[in-house]
This record gives sequence, structure tokens and C-alpha cells, in this order.
Amino acid sequence: MSLADLMPLRLPPAWRWAGEWMWRVEHAFERARAAGRPQDDARLRIFVVAVVFALVFLVLAIGAAHSALSGPTQRVDALATPGARGDLVDRNGALLAVDLKHWGLYVDPREVWDTAGTRAALTAALPDLPPKRIDKALAGEKRTYLAGGLTPEAKDRLFALGLPGLIFEPEERRVYPLGSTAAHLIGFSDTGGVGVAGAERALGDQLHKTAGGGQVPLAIDVRVQAVLEEELGKAVAEFQPIGAVGLVTNVRTGEILGLANWPDFDPNKPGAGGPGPQKNLAAASVYEMGSTFKAFTVAIGLDTGVATPQSTFDARQPFQLGYRTIHDYHAARKILSLVEVFQHSSNIGTAKLAESIGAQRLQKYFDGMGLTKRAKVDLVESASPLTPRKWDMDAVASTSFGHGMNVTPLALAGAYGAVLNGGRHVPLTIRKRAPGAKVDGPRVFSEATSAEMLKIMRANVADPIGSGGKADAPGLSVGGKTGTGEKYDPAIRGYSTTRQVSSFAAVFPTEGAIGDDRYFVLILLDEPKPSAATYGYATGGWVAAPAAGRVIDRIAGYLGVPRRFAPPAPTPASTLAAAPAEPLGGGL
Amino acid sequence: MSVSGIFTQRVRGFRVVEVVALGLLAVTILGVYLAKTMAGSERARIAALESSIADEKARIRLLDAEVAYLERPRRVSRLAETYLGLKPVDAKREATVETLAVVAATPVSLPKPAAAPQPAASQAAAPQAVTQ
Repeated sequence: MSLADLMPLRLPPAWRWAGEWMWRVEHAFERARAAGRPQDDARLRIFVVAVVFALVFLVLAIGAAHSALSGPTQRVDALATPGARGDLVDRNGALLAVDLKHWGLYVDPREVWDTAGTRAALTAALPDLPPKRIDKALAGEKRTYLAGGLTPEAKDRLFALGLPGLIFEPEERRVYPLGSTAAHLIGFSDTGGVGVAGAERALGDQLHKTAGGGQVPLAIDVRVQAVLEEELGKAVAEFQPIGAVGLVTNVRTGEILGLANWPDFDPNKPGAGGPGPQKNLAAASVYEMGSTFKAFTVAIGLDTGVATPQSTFDARQPFQLGYRTIHDYHAARKILSLVEVFQHSSNIGTAKLAESIGAQRLQKYFDGMGLTKRAKVDLVESASPLTPRKWDMDAVASTSFGHGMNVTPLALAGAYGAVLNGGRHVPLTIRKRAPGAKVDGPRVFSEATSAEMLKIMRANVADPIGSGGKADAPGLSVGGKTGTGEKYDPAIRGYSTTRQVSSFAAVFPTEGAIGDDRYFVLILLDEPKPSAATYGYATGGWVAAPAAGRVIDRIAGYLGVPRRFAPPAPTPASTLAAAPAEPLGGGL
Repeated sequence: MSVSGIFTQRVRGFRVVEVVALGLLAVTILGVYLAKTMAGSERARIAALESSIADEKARIRLLDAEVAYLERPRRVSRLAETYLGLKPVDAKREATVETLAVVAATPVSLPKPAAAPQPAASQAAAPQAVTQ
């Protein structure tokens, strides 16, 4: 029998081994005493204790040497401070938002020797700081936070004054080096590093995870954005609207390549212009879009088999549908084919087509295109649409040409994507997708319908009778649809004839395979004023189409869209060398 | 040597076990002291390097932001228009690789090159051409 036998069986094996070992040692002592050598008993006990101590010290020494030589295994990054965020960059790596080390200024009045001198120096160095605040800090009895966000230069200037009692603490500040460029898409964050709007808010978690030098690429291309803002700015200067939106998206991937709003703001000083300019009109404002909706009605008519491009519609007389009598803005007063209905932007023809489609199918397709819910996009600002309460014939008539339903420009872009990309509703995104990524989405239209719509939209720009001729760009096979939605005026309980939302929805190139990259461009002006150059018109074809055309003309190169011209007639080499009538390449 | 012999054997009056233990203790103390001293200096150097790297990184980020600020599209566009008279390229002035042959074969109205310098002999024969 041993001590181990007396130990409870439920003890773990290690404890049982230790118990047995103790028992053997104790037994050795017993044997030494029994053999009449009690001095060996004491020495043995001392030896065992000494060995145990030596082992413990040895372990401690090895551990101490190891920890001393190896150092900390995990580095703490100096930039990973609370509230820190990763950088935002565009699809080509251009910096959009970055955390930079700034300095917070504190004053400890207990250490200030010369109060008057310190007050004067601070007032001169920080002219934006209210003098009362400086006085209050200097008159206090404890350390007080005086100003934050000092740049290294500003901090150095103050530090060089050598004033006792001024204390500087490092702090991270979000900086937007491009200023107002893409301000609504980038958004901004508060001083605590919490995103308030735009990508800063939508991608907050990802930005926090990449804090300390990591980057989050957005889908936008700064070059495209710059062109969009410049051309939108020119249109704003010419037509003096109360608001304006510009959008460029890739209809295959849903990527937002450019998003411009007017008025804009500087995210470095987001509150400077009041809350108005901060509103992202593209995502958070809903409009009755007007005739740009006719592309949807025509596409639905084709997809359901209700109509073909050659189907005819009698537009000679106003059309009564539901409670509405529908007139044409540009009355053709003739029988129009479906393509002509689109080109003349005939309300009568579109309403007759919608009547044939029926309320149920129209609503189903609108649901599929995402027009009846808030646009699927990362931006939390995305607003819900205003849709008809009841899908009766009155609603069918109105919505078929873009009235009676208010959607955001982003929702319009998403729906146009489904019409133009082969028929799938691909959610819009502000994130960059991997090159060549295959993006899927629920099918809304057939590929044949989508291909037919590209041809019809091209015809609306290329054909002299089309409403979008001013948007054409050489060699880029631009297609598009004008839109002029009269605004509802509560004062007259009806639609105003002078206040309207004028827009142009364009796509390029309309040529090429249906699965190719293709780009959607929207220019929208809210309440544009006519000018002499537009002969008193403020419709989409006059105020928005030219801007859309200029944008397309300038961004095609950035997007890698080649210009394709009809091949010239074969010319003998001898005559070519002799004297070509028109120098190709403009004399390059 | 028996176990008890470790405690009884003496060298110059000192028990062997005590001498060995003292030696081990001295070696351990010296080892730990040297290790900590060397580690301390290494750690200080590492900390200085890390601080320097962090400062450099912060400086690089500041310069990156400065570059982005100076390359603001609106600023570049304004400067290009104001000082260089540059404008967006007209589509007619674009050419692809395929059209280069046609472009090359197209006569262009370039300014006439300056008259080639006359050889020394002919210069003497026609001094007016040089002096005018």
C-alpha cells in the first residue's frame, strides 16, 4: 500500500504522480532512519529542498533571460489610436481621406508665469479662438483644453514661443485633401472618428479595421469625378438651378464612378455652409423624373411582348386614362411607332403602351428594377421613394411617363442599369469591385430587350428627330433619354409649368456585346432657368443633354472606351498620299 | 560517490556542494545582469528606431496628403488653363494605333522650318543672307 493508493481516484494523473513521488521520498527518509543513520535523513531533506529551489531559480533565470532578450512579441502601432480610421482612396489609389497627426492645445494656469503675455501671444497665434475662451482658461485653476486640430506648423509656432503652461497632446484628425471634390460620396466623420455621412459612415467598420495605414478603395475615379463636377458646374452657372446632380455608373458592375451634387461643401469644414449643402441630393432627394421613365415603360412593353419596335400608337388626340387626360409636350399629332414614341417623348403613346401592359405587370417590373424601394446602395442616406398608394389606371398613366412617383437619382441609375446591362438588377455600390468581377443580380429583362433598348436609346441621340441629339459625342455611340418633370406646386394644387426637374439619362457605348462594360451618365438640374441660348427652353434636352455629352466626351478615355468611327471607304494608296480632302486625326 | 558524499566531501575546508552552489549562483547573477543590461540597451535602440519609423510614416502620410491637396483636379485644371492655355482634347485630335499610318500619310500644315545654315563657302559668297 502506498500514499497514492489512499488518494482519491478522481484526482488527475499529474497529481497522483506527484503524490507517489512524495511518498517514495518520504519512504527513503524512513529507510534512512530505520538503518540508524538519522543524519542522512536530515541531509536528504535539505538536498531535496535545495534541488527544488535550484530548479525554480533556474526556470526563473531562463524565463527572465528569454523575456529580456526577446522583447515584446506584439508591436503596438503608434497610429492605432481610438477613433483612428484607414485611408479612403479612389479606384486608382488617389488619396481621398486620411488621418493625420494634429495637436491639441491645453493650458495649465498654475504653470503660467506671465498671464498677460500668454494671453497676448495666444490671441495673436490663434486669431480664430474667441478671446473669452482664452481668458477663461487662463483664469481657471486646472488644466483646460483650449484648441484642437493644430497642424504641426501651428504647433511648432506656438511651441517656439517658449511659454510655460502650454501643453500639447497629439490627436488624430481626419483630413480630406481634395476639399469639396466628391464630398457627398466621401462624406465626413466627427472629431471622435465616427462616420457621419457618405462612405465615411457606410464603411465605418471597415475603416476602423484598417486603421494605422490601411486603405479602403472606393469605386470612384477622381478624374471622372472632376470632369463630372466641372461640367455640372458649367450647367449650374448657365441655368441657375436650385440643385443639381451628376452621376456616372458602370451598369455591368453597379460601381459608382462619379457622384456630384450642387451645392457642395468642404468636408474639412462640413458645417461652414449650413446643413443644406451637406445633403446628398443623389441619394437623399426624391424627384418626379418625368420622361426618363419612358425608357422603363418601353422596355417593359418589349419584354412582356405587348409591343415591338414597329408597333404603332395613335398620338393624334389627347388620351383619357383613369382620371387623367394626357397631352404631348411636343405634339406630333400622328400615328407613331414605338421608337418614334420614344424619340418624340410622347406621353400619349407611352400611356397607351402602359395601358396595354397593365397595372399589375407595370408594378411587378418597377419592383424588379428597385424603383419602389430605397435604392440598394451602401450609402445610408439612400431615401425611400414616394410610390402610388394604389396601382390603378390613373397611377399607370402617371408613372408610365415619370409622374406620380418620386425616386432618387441613384434609384433611377440602378433601374437604368437593369435596362442596359443585359437585364439584371445589379445593386449600386461605392466600393471598388475586383477587375473583371462577375456581378450577378435578379433578372428583370431579357438580354434581347436590353439590346433593343440600347438601339432605341442610340436612335434617340443619333436620329435628327430624337430628343437627345445634343448629348452625342463623336465615335462613342451615345444613347439617352431626356426627362422634364414638372414639379408639384402645393399653392396651385397642381403641376407648375415654370418649375421643373430637367434631366438626361445617357449610356455609352451602345455598341458592343451585351455583357461589355457600359456606362450610365445622369445629369439632373432642379428648377433650371432658361437662357437666350436655349431659346427660352429649360427642358432636359436643352439644359442637361449637352452637359451629359461633354462629360461622356471627356471621360471615355479615362474609362478605356475607344472611339469607333464608321470605316472610311477604301482609298488607293496613291490618292491617299496625294491629297486627302479632310486630314484625319486633326493634323496630329 | 554516494549521495551523502556530496554533502560530506570538502575542498580546502568548504563542502563541494556549497562551492558548486555558490558558483552557480554567481554565474546566474552575472548572466541575468548581463542579459538585462544588453537587453535594455537593445530595447532602447529598438524603441528609438520604432519611434523614428513612426515619425517617418507620419511624415510620409503628411506629404501624401500634401501632394493630393496640390493635385486637386480643380486646382490643376485652373492652373493648366490659366498658365498653359490647356483645354480638354478635342475628339478630332485623338488617334489610335490603327489610324497612325493614315495620320502619317496626311499632310499637315506645320510652320515652315528655318532656312538651313549655309556652308562656309557659300556664306562668303552671299554675306547678305547672314547679315540680314
